[in-house]
Amino acid sequence: MGEKKLAHRCKAFFSKPSNVLLVIFLAVLFVLSVLPLITMVTNMFTVHIGTEKKILRLQEGAFTWNHFERLFPISDWSVVNFWKPLGNSFVVAIGAGVLGILIGGTVAWFITRSNLRFKKFISAVFVFPYMMPAWTLALFWINVFKNSQVGGGNVGILESMFGICMPEWFVYGLFPMVIVIALHYSPFAYLLIGGILKNMDATLEESATILKAGRMKIIRRITMPIVMPAILSTFLLIFSSGFSSYTVPVFLGSAVKTFTLSTKMRALINAGYQGQGYIIAFVSIALGCFILGLNQWFTGKRKSFTTVTGKSGQVSLVDLKKANLPISLFLCVYVLFFAIAPLISFALESVIRQPGNYSLSNMTLHFWIGTEASAYETGMISGILLNPTMWKALGRQVLLALIVAVIVGTSGMLIGYACVRRRGSRLSRWVESMAFFPYLMPAMAFGTIYLAVATSQHFKFLYGTFGMLILVASIKFLPFASRSGINSMLQISPEIEEAAMVVGVPWWKRMVRIMFPIQKSSILSGYLLPVISVMREVALFTLLVPYARYLLTTMLFSFNETGYSQYGSAVTLLIVLIIILINTLTNKLTGASFDKGIGG
Amino acid sequence: MKRIIAFILLACMMTCLCGVALADEVDVEAALAEAEGMTNEELYEKAKEEVAAGAQLNFYSTTSFAEKAAANFMAAYPELDGKVIYAEIDDGETYTILQNTIGSGVADSADMALTQNGSDLQTFMLDEGLTYSYFPEMYKDVVDEQFQKPAVVTFIDSLFIYNNTDGSIELTNVWQLTEPEWAGKVFFKDPTNETVNINFLIMLTSPEWVERMEEAYKSYYGEDWANEEEYENASYEWIDKFLANVNYTYTSASDMAKGIASGAGGNLGLFVFSKLRKVDEADRGNLTVVQFENDVEGFSGFMYNVYATVAKDTECPYTCALFINYLLGEEGFAGEDSWNSSQGYYSANSSIEKPEELEDEAYSYWSDKLVFEDAAYIYDHYVDVYEYISVRVGS
Repeated sequence: MGEKKLAHRCKAFFSKPSNVLLVIFLAVLFVLSVLPLITMVTNMFTVHIGTEKKILRLQEGAFTWNHFERLFPISDWSVVNFWKPLGNSFVVAIGAGVLGILIGGTVAWFITRSNLRFKKFISAVFVFPYMMPAWTLALFWINVFKNSQVGGGNVGILESMFGICMPEWFVYGLFPMVIVIALHYSPFAYLLIGGILKNMDATLEESATILKAGRMKIIRRITMPIVMPAILSTFLLIFSSGFSSYTVPVFLGSAVKTFTLSTKMRALINAGYQGQGYIIAFVSIALGCFILGLNQWFTGKRKSFTTVTGKSGQVSLVDLKKANLPISLFLCVYVLFFAIAPLISFALESVIRQPGNYSLSNMTLHFWIGTEASAYETGMISGILLNPTMWKALGRQVLLALIVAVIVGTSGMLIGYACVRRRGSRLSRWVESMAFFPYLMPAMAFGTIYLAVATSQHFKFLYGTFGMLILVASIKFLPFASRSGINSMLQISPEIEEAAMVVGVPWWKRMVRIMFPIQKSSILSGYLLPVISVMREVALFTLLVPYARYLLTTMLFSFNETGYSQYGSAVTLLIVLIIILINTLTNKLTGASFDKGIGG
Repeated sequence: MKRIIAFILLACMMTCLCGVALADEVDVEAALAEAEGMTNEELYEKAKEEVAAGAQLNFYSTTSFAEKAAANFMAAYPELDGKVIYAEIDDGETYTILQNTIGSGVADSADMALTQNGSDLQTFMLDEGLTYSYFPEMYKDVVDEQFQKPAVVTFIDSLFIYNNTDGSIELTNVWQLTEPEWAGKVFFKDPTNETVNINFLIMLTSPEWVERMEEAYKSYYGEDWANEEEYENASYEWIDKFLANVNYTYTSASDMAKGIASGAGGNLGLFVFSKLRKVDEADRGNLTVVQFENDVEGFSGFMYNVYATVAKDTECPYTCALFINYLLGEEGFAGEDSWNSSQGYYSANSSIEKPEELEDEAYSYWSDKLVFEDAAYIYDHYVDVYEYISVRVGS
């Protein structure tokens, strides 16, 4: 009787598509997210082939506490390889978080709440730095500010044009790392804070105005408390991204021996200290979990990452009066310098032979369309547009982006549907948390986890495969798609679907004919973000690609690391243009776009 | 619904299995043993058969020049055109990648690899049976036995090179570089990220080089080295003080060559000689190789080997053998636009000389001027010296 009851309960449970989806996603996310983490944790306690085996004189796979004993107690080794990089990572993360919010939040306020001029231009161009791989901004920074007084004494753009030499701390080290990461993530702050500001109910401010409250008082007492959850969430997200940044410290830190946890993690793994590398990865992940907890504690609810809020009324714009033109012009110059100038700089750097010489006689298209004979000296067999390796890498990157977008976008929508329909249930909470979990893992640490899996005895067939990259990217970029899916599904009243159910419309038809069309734009944005993320991602893939020129971004990173600066600039320009093209095309065809929701 | 679930499960399985290729088993070791005694014509016939059966030679290398070598090889053997696929791998990750892809069934994994760092090659590849050595009988008389198994296809040197726009730096003894006036003016790639650089520093701690460093010390300071309280030996002191002066601005040898050439006068780099070809002609005259100006007590740089080995699961062992023969021979190494036409590459084949028009010398010239790697010594002392250096680079 009991068995029958159980069978009946199971049947009833699985008769609901939302339950089936939740069970499937719970299983998939557990296998792809939690189990690899367990593999990594076991690697923190085991001896690896090579250096560790030699030092410890133990068999491969033997249990050891040695990695912890080397990394944590204070010693020359641990200070250099853990404590000092940890401190640097904190400085970079906090600095970038604060500055990113100041820049992004300020611009968001001007765009959404004031009568600023050139809004469309500023709004469209301000997000460019987020589309560029972060380290390309670092290279731009070096190209502009390097000078005869620092580094190798090479003249940069600022010195050659104005004779100004900036000090070393300005060109290399923690300061530029903070600036560059803040610049890269400030569009992120702009999108999140701007979304809240735009949707904010204007009647609150208008009531205060009627009661004769001053402008500053309104901002302090009304605007700020409303956007505070978004500011805190944004700060913590930028903090998390800044803390785990790998590529920017490589270019801006190495010159002055400033290392962060991410750079040390890779160096230790490459040097054969895998166990210690995995511990650093775990510390980064633990910190990510702590940040999420902190965020929940601050905001008191899990919906804190949402950009979609309640309906707003008519927004009254603040009149900037005489300050309008100067502020507008300043912002135009700002976006021109940090969003357009890097593109011009990449274009220029890709056509000059001799570094620092921008005269016409020094220009060539060799690095774009050079033939075999002229390309010999550089070690490449031709310019990038004629190089089959580049086209293959580009093809793989685009294919990867598209496949991941389909998987992530669809999964995000289905997770959103299932979680919202079963809102409040334990199963729903588990899936929601597990879908967001990968965001807390720094890209490099996430790549490291899968490296640990793919180098374990039974999964070697995964190492270096395209399928592995799809798997890793799909999990890593799922959080925003699932968040976006949940938010968009929350806005759809269940009565609409229930009405269709009453007349016997099957589940898939309800999804395709009702749910998707209603939130088409929002869901398509959930597909678009993974495309952009994959097109500019390198830290996640760098440990997992079979060779450096496998993907376009890893190829670019390799070009920049090995000194093929002209080829590197050409590829960077290509990547940014492709991302802008994808964003524009999607926007024209579907109305969805990367900066959708704020606009000018 | 069932269809959707089935589709999702299938997609997951496909994702996991994507890229796994099943290859016919080939007895690679036996094929390579047979290939050693074959002529190039015979190997070409075999290679054509392999290619006709669907094989392609995926060829991994840490040296970018190898891409050109692959292109030249295909031009020399036109029926292999498009069948030699070059993939550049990062020096630091070489053996992680090869160790995990060879024999794992991954599609397009390496059939052959050109790698540096002989110690790791022995530990991770040859000892584990993941790659095999191959050396053709036709070159046994012209290549020193120690460079035959595994086959050394080229030597590469890193030399002291400086910007001469402020005149000569008059570097005559390596201990000069430990003086405070060199702080920030000597450029070297971070040895904790560059295996050949750390190998060079490890070799300095070998008894032979400690002796030479003590001699250089005495010559420079006029007294015997006697700082045992602070340092294990003279080499450790030199490493400590040298690294304290090093400027790590450049993350690649190419950038270092270009940067020093267009940078401040008097800056000195210890970097790969062959990278001078990447310096624009207008700046090339700004660089001087110290050794071509005067001898340096201690050393003028270091030399390392690039080895060719064949993967145990290759489907085209004869094509690999033919390619190695090509790289070892006159046509491959000294043909048009190949390794020998650039400074800083030297063949293990003693019948191949450097072209006279190049500002360079034969391999034998460098034998008493540079630090040469000894894989066995590096294997035994890697950990101690790496940790010593890691602390100094990061502090």
